[in-house]
Amino acid sequence: MTNINLFPLFLSLKVAFISTALSFLIGLPLAYYLSLNRSRFSDFLDTFTNFPVVLPPTVLGYYLLVLLGRQSFIGKFLEKNFNIMIVFTPAGAIVAAVIVSLPYMIKSSKTALLSINEDYINAARLLGRGELNIFLTIMIPISYRGIISGVTMSFVRALGDFGTTLMVAGSIPDKTLTMPIAIYNALQSGDKAMANLLVLIMTSISVIVLYIVNRLEKKMKRG
Amino acid sequence: MLEVSFEKKFGSFALKSSFCCDKEVLGILGPSGCGKSLTLKCIAGLFPPDRGIIKLDGREFFNSEKKINIPSRNRNIGFVFQNYALFPHLTVYDNIAYGIKDLDKSKRHEKVMDFIKKMQLTGCEKKYPSQLSGGQQQRTALARTLIKEPSLLLLDEPFSAIDTHVKSMLKAELLEIIKKYQGTVLFITHDIEEAYEMCDKILIMNGGQCIQRGDKRDVIKSPVNLDSARITGCKNFFDVDIVGERKGYNLLQHNGLLIYANKNNKTLKEKMTAGIRQHDIKLLKEAEGDMNTFECEIVDVIEGISYSTVFLRCKDLLLQAEISNFKYSEYENGKAFFYISPEDIFVVSKE
Repeated sequence: MTNINLFPLFLSLKVAFISTALSFLIGLPLAYYLSLNRSRFSDFLDTFTNFPVVLPPTVLGYYLLVLLGRQSFIGKFLEKNFNIMIVFTPAGAIVAAVIVSLPYMIKSSKTALLSINEDYINAARLLGRGELNIFLTIMIPISYRGIISGVTMSFVRALGDFGTTLMVAGSIPDKTLTMPIAIYNALQSGDKAMANLLVLIMTSISVIVLYIVNRLEKKMKRG
Repeated sequence: MLEVSFEKKFGSFALKSSFCCDKEVLGILGPSGCGKSLTLKCIAGLFPPDRGIIKLDGREFFNSEKKINIPSRNRNIGFVFQNYALFPHLTVYDNIAYGIKDLDKSKRHEKVMDFIKKMQLTGCEKKYPSQLSGGQQQRTALARTLIKEPSLLLLDEPFSAIDTHVKSMLKAELLEIIKKYQGTVLFITHDIEEAYEMCDKILIMNGGQCIQRGDKRDVIKSPVNLDSARITGCKNFFDVDIVGERKGYNLLQHNGLLIYANKNNKTLKEKMTAGIRQHDIKLLKEAEGDMNTFECEIVDVIEGISYSTVFLRCKDLLLQAEISNFKYSEYENGKAFFYISPEDIFVVSKE
């Protein structure tokens, strides 16, 4: 066996953890907003946040490149004021991962929040609590399984992303090379042992996550 | 004093609620879909009405003209939901304490423990709602609500989720709690028996309208129309001609039968509908007197535990009577007489 460089594994885990945290922080409030609102704007937002699911990853990556590249308004602004570059950096990988995983976070949480019996929320209102307080003390605890399921799905999705990450962050060894791309590279260069090992690691992580999600869903059904 | 007068449209359904009540238990009775639950939710502030006023003890909760709509959390209304809506992730203790988070810790604990004792929930403090019996759930829901000392108590079909064999016990319990509570109580039900047992006054709703409000005895005795009579459980109706007055009663005629009826209905027309409640029919083996006593034939019997439903035919009339201790063998060939006190016959306008 050749000398194995585990940098892609650590980068992938780092990207997946950070992007999952971001997805959670952005996705849960959005899911809450979408669950209680039936306006035109929320319908539009609902559709829009699902876009990354239906768009081909490379197309999505292209849009992100256009939006965040060094020539774009946002890219220029970030580089000038904060010296932050997104494209072809680990930050780019995180942005890509957040974008592809966010829909799963939102969808799963929204479904869980919508399935809460309205009477619980009304009872809390009549007991004198405000909406934010109810969200924190009643809605999240009751729907936590759905929310955790959303977090796990986001994590797997972020961990496994290939196309969008490749477009936005590239595949610079020891800088932006993530696991899925490393597997592809290993196979391309004929390093089967390396490819096998990386595939095995990725499969194990996926199996563990799937097991957790399944258990949660079973518990959810049982109530 | 609760004053309610509002309108609310829901698709093709139009609700028009208008009534007052003061420090009493008012039963709101009506078939499902008549708008009684929606009325309660509007009063509680969970739905805003389209137009109108909701006022409690001079304080306006809702006024469409002045654009007042106080949110539910500031109305201090106690609401017990149909399935109690106990928070499934909180223990009995935490459920009861949920509404009084503003009190300081020791005072809160004291108050919660006091209610746990009062509501006979000692030993259940650490249990979750799913581990409680129906009665314990109801008491927890009541404790959670009453601990806030609400200025109005709303009960939405509190017995609909309860097994029949524990219902009577729970009724007695709830009645005791309601009596101790000093404010106004609105009690929703579709069961006239329940409304009669639990409440002082009854409001009858049908198709989004309030059709009658009054003392429970008056509501039973003189329904304002056919719907009201049906909703309060009356099953015997027949067309009559009003032929005059005699002996202080209205004299009715149906297919040659002369019937005396009470004079509660002030707007008499020539042709009306008469109603007799099942339990007001007395079955006799022999005729006693001749006022409102008629010969009949027993055509069918549905035997019950405490009383039997007996179907009687008298000329073209088919009447149902509820008779306790009914024995068919006591009547020769199914021949019998029945008597109805004139006080127990009412007339309403034809539909």
